[in-house]
Amino acid sequence: MEVNNNEVELDCIGALCPTPIIQLGKAIRDLPAGATIVLKADDPATQSDISAWARMTGNSVTAIAIHTYRVTKR
Amino acid sequence: MVTAGAFDGEHPLHPAGAEVLRAAFERGWARPDGLSAASAQSRHLLSSAREEIAAGLGVRTDEIEFWGEPALISPVAIMGASHFAHGTFIAGATERQEILAVGARAQSMATIPVSEMGLIDRDLLLEALESDSTVAIQAANIETGVRQNLADLAPLVGGLGAHLHLDFAAAGPLVKLPTYWSTADFPAKSWDGPAGLGIMVINANQRWANPLAINTTHRAPESFSLPLALAAAASLTGWLSDSAREAERIRSLITLMRTVIKQTIVDVDIAGSGDANQSLPHILSISILNVSGEELVAALAREGFAVASGSACVATAIEPSHVLRAMGQLTHGNIRISLMHAVAESEVKKFLALLPGIVDRLRMEVGS
Repeated sequence: MEVNNNEVELDCIGALCPTPIIQLGKAIRDLPAGATIVLKADDPATQSDISAWARMTGNSVTAIAIHTYRVTKR
Repeated sequence: MVTAGAFDGEHPLHPAGAEVLRAAFERGWARPDGLSAASAQSRHLLSSAREEIAAGLGVRTDEIEFWGEPALISPVAIMGASHFAHGTFIAGATERQEILAVGARAQSMATIPVSEMGLIDRDLLLEALESDSTVAIQAANIETGVRQNLADLAPLVGGLGAHLHLDFAAAGPLVKLPTYWSTADFPAKSWDGPAGLGIMVINANQRWANPLAINTTHRAPESFSLPLALAAAASLTGWLSDSAREAERIRSLITLMRTVIKQTIVDVDIAGSGDANQSLPHILSISILNVSGEELVAALAREGFAVASGSACVATAIEPSHVLRAMGQLTHGNIRISLMHAVAESEVKKFLALLPGIVDRLRMEVGS
């Protein structure tokens, strides 16, 4: 897994649902379009919820490693 | 009896069943298979209950077995299929956990994915099907109310002569048996009958043997409570009569809830299409972004509304709902609403008026 210098890293390892998704929503709020966040979250709900979150908010998500997701703001 | 605000699927015993239950403990206490006059009376009562239930479910009286432990019906019915030991066990991804768990006993298992609307992938089912398969499909889902298209799926299984087990735990008698089926599971609770009593239906034209092998001449343990069987029969007749009167009114209330919730709350996922032929009339599952399911359930309880949740963030769950996951629905902030007959429209409107404020407050508390 590679995290670029200009990416925001959000570590939610150990946080229970819905905290990782709430933190992600807060972190992405003030970023410009096209900016990326790398989210680390191991709560079992995050794996499916992050796809639903992307669908609902229009942002895009790619799983890049176990418990790690790259999120791009639309 | 206080039922206002009970939107969580927990329904009191139907009044017709409650009335019979009291009398049944006085008259139906003897074993139906004994020789005494009391046993003869029990035999007569059971026979009447069997006829009443068979008529209500649209099956033959000799196709009915009473079970005192409803949770065992589906696993036993599936494992008793003639090919279960050597064929593939096939189940939809949103079947109940106790049915999916039967896969551990099968030689091989195929779990068929569902669409975003919760409907079984017909092509993948066809691909997995063989003549020695044992297939389990739910008539409807207990969490989302999504109805499978049994009229389309059952003939696919029937065409190969495979075993088709149907689960009516959510649908109860609201959904009719299709033209082809092998076994079926009807817990009495699905028609507001007593807990602790269920009906296993075994198609007279299909081969089936009890895998528990308790007694070679019996297809069920026969350890059920006769008074509960009598109450189940009376409840079924009463419930069907109520349903004929109430089902469309309840469906219009659920449709109202779908519409108003979408209008008043942003970022909400509502499961299923809500179409009449793809959903039960009384169940609604909604997931609200950035809200904890546990806090939402607690906040509604403080306002007098009991709802269930499929979120992992409730005290009793570690994993989120496999049903919501299979449909790609948001699993957090989930509440399930199940309306009972005779629910007042004013209660539903009170709920709809309260929910947006509760959601706003919970979102504000976490800064979302």
